[in-house]
Amino acid sequence: MDIRESFLPGIGMKYQMDAASGDRIVVVIHDDGRRELYHFSYENLDESISMVTLEDQEARQLAALIGGMVYKPKQLESVEMAFDELTIEWYRIEPHYACVGKTIGELNIRQNSGASVIALMDKKKGKQSNPGPTAVLNMEATVIAVGEREQQKRFKQILMNGSG
Amino acid sequence: MEHLVFEIGLALGLIALGGLISAKLRFSVIPFYILIGMAVGPHAMELWHFDFRFIDSAPFIDFMGRIGVLFLLFYLGLEFSVGRLIKSGRSIVVGGSIYIGINFTLGLLLGFLSGFPLAETLVIAGITTISSSAIAAKVLVDLKRTANSETEMILGIIMFEDVFLAVYISILSGFVLSDSSSLGGVLLSALVALGFMLAVLILGRKAVPLLNKWLRIRSNELFALVVFGTLFLVAGFSETIHVAEAIGALLVGLVLAETEHAKRIEHLIMPFRDFFGAVFFFSFGLSIDPMSLGGNAVWLALAAVIITLIGNFSAGMIAGRTASLSPKASANIGLTIVARGEFSIIMANLGKDGGLMEILQPFAAVYVLILAILGPLLTKQSKPIFIMLNRWFKFKDRRVQQE
Repeated sequence: MDIRESFLPGIGMKYQMDAASGDRIVVVIHDDGRRELYHFSYENLDESISMVTLEDQEARQLAALIGGMVYKPKQLESVEMAFDELTIEWYRIEPHYACVGKTIGELNIRQNSGASVIALMDKKKGKQSNPGPTAVLNMEATVIAVGEREQQKRFKQILMNGSG
Repeated sequence: MEHLVFEIGLALGLIALGGLISAKLRFSVIPFYILIGMAVGPHAMELWHFDFRFIDSAPFIDFMGRIGVLFLLFYLGLEFSVGRLIKSGRSIVVGGSIYIGINFTLGLLLGFLSGFPLAETLVIAGITTISSSAIAAKVLVDLKRTANSETEMILGIIMFEDVFLAVYISILSGFVLSDSSSLGGVLLSALVALGFMLAVLILGRKAVPLLNKWLRIRSNELFALVVFGTLFLVAGFSETIHVAEAIGALLVGLVLAETEHAKRIEHLIMPFRDFFGAVFFFSFGLSIDPMSLGGNAVWLALAAVIITLIGNFSAGMIAGRTASLSPKASANIGLTIVARGEFSIIMANLGKDGGLMEILQPFAAVYVLILAILGPLLTKQSKPIFIMLNRWFKFKDRRVQQE
């Protein structure tokens, strides 16, 4: 699709796109971070039918929604990002989980579930990205794994029960 | 003189009051600052402890207003870049030339037909040609028109006008401020002015790497001192060689805009521009006695308003057509940039500094007051106005024909 970009001196930037549906959408980004979204119908391109003003933060959240990234606050334990079939999930390791104290290699996570651990957040050890098989899954750590939905399910089983 | 702070405080209080009223009425502030200034002044009364005549403080208020002009033009220089204008496209250069051409010619005609000498006529044409960037840009944002198809054209014409203003002020200040009356003398002072400007721009361009280094100052205090010092020194020096100080300020802005510190300077200057700019409009109002209005100045202003309205509307229609905008969008162009403000008053002050006829000041005041209020109203009501005019003129929609 074609996006026409133009500079508005003293105001900001303007982006205009004509969607296949026939609607025209114009986004104006003001220099102070405010975004304005305008909707024009194809029959009358002189006047917008509706418009929305968003603050910087709100615009980012809306962009995430439109962009297909479902956003859940971190506190809700598992945050999902849909990447086609592939999802990234956050898991908190509760004290009663069977995996506590075991290494990624011991649990044979990749072979058993298909999911791979891409990051580990530990109170003591801090952040570890792409942890190796010797990394230990401690209590109250957060592990981030990437995999398809089925693989994520098996991964959760391993964490809780120690095996798929 | 001993109560100077109190008097300045009173003035600032009045300016603030004018601003608050305009915000309440949702109008542009410029006419209110001028009106508040006109309401008080030497003809006003002394009320108990409050001296509304501002006689003692007049020179100080006047000086603060002068600083306001310096900051206005300094900021214009900082914001402006030729690259941006070229990037905005060919249609804007065409539209801008049409707009300036029509309005400037009409202004010249008005001056000559009313029997003014050349210098006065040139100032009058300047007053009627250059619209207020501040009001037009604000109205666009306030009315949520930034997404419209004519917006680029409107902002482009404003930028084009700024270029015209810079060139025009420099020519006119050489012409009006020079002491000599002979053609040779005027030409010489114009050449001096031109040489000075070219020298500042060329030296400034060469000095950009050096300026980048010198301005790498962490302390905000020192940074402000260096920038302000440069601004006042160059502007003040310009004055000594009969180049308007506003041009000096503009030149400093243009040079500093090329440095990597442009954004920081912009942030630093903006509050000063707004503050002293407000005092500038107030001090302009202060210099006008409302009792002296009436007669020639008002009639001339009314004639100028009518001419400006016609000129703007037709220029907008033609400019819009060259960019194949619809007639309705084109009508918006002319009606949005009809507001006059800061630059018209700078022009009038230039006439005053050059000792031209006194009618220029009250003329500019009435003219700006009417158009600064009428401009935003016309912009807001552009739809019914267009429908009404369309009934008589039957504008053809080229866009539809093309499809």
